[in-house]
Amino acid sequence: MRQAGAYSGILSGGGVSGRTGPHLLPLARIKKIMKKSSVDVKMISGEAPLVFSKACELFIEELTKRSWNTTIQGKRRTLHKEDVASAVATTDVFDFLIDLVHPNASGDVDLDEEHVLEKK
Amino acid sequence: MVEEQDKLLPVANVGRIMKKILPPTAKISKEAKETIQECASEFISFVTGEASDKCHKENRKTVNGDDICWALGSLGFDDYSQAIARYLHKHREFERVRASTAAASSSAALELEASDC
Repeated sequence: MRQAGAYSGILSGGGVSGRTGPHLLPLARIKKIMKKSSVDVKMISGEAPLVFSKACELFIEELTKRSWNTTIQGKRRTLHKEDVASAVATTDVFDFLIDLVHPNASGDVDLDEEHVLEKK
Repeated sequence: MVEEQDKLLPVANVGRIMKKILPPTAKISKEAKETIQECASEFISFVTGEASDKCHKENRKTVNGDDICWALGSLGFDDYSQAIARYLHKHREFERVRASTAAASSSAALELEASDC
């Protein structure tokens, strides 16, 4: 039974929504990643992975768009890892990714204080 | 090896989202896709950690959608936070309608059964 209306517009995949509807990212995998993020994470509500599927989509879109800007500036048509690194370096909210894209970077900012994974 | 992949979103799904936002003639290197795949997982961990901290401080055991929405705002992702708030609202509304429709149709079915007797 198709449920049209308010909900169908949200999912880019189209079609019927539902618990396991046509989301762009697998909810079970998202839940696994959430659980592994910290020992403090004990219980996760059913809607949390759903919320993340949307948030991740927005995140990937933004990171991709910004990376592509660098690609274009270099007059290229292939998006490379360096373009992603550049997007991370020039976007404040992506600071938590600096170590991930630039393993050898020794910045002025001590990320350990902010990095929630470093909780003891 | 399998364990490592469990910590990442599937690269095919990540690639699909990337393609959606880029011009049709754009190309994406495998390394770039994998890098963004890793970044997305890190994003989930980062935001979950913040949300989980909040729950811990408030003596709550379950991380819910509102906590994630709050964490996004707290970490500087204001646009995402607003979009998620709208998404959550619609989702909850949808679930409410679905639940009441299911309840209504099952009670209607019971009535039909009863009238057949």
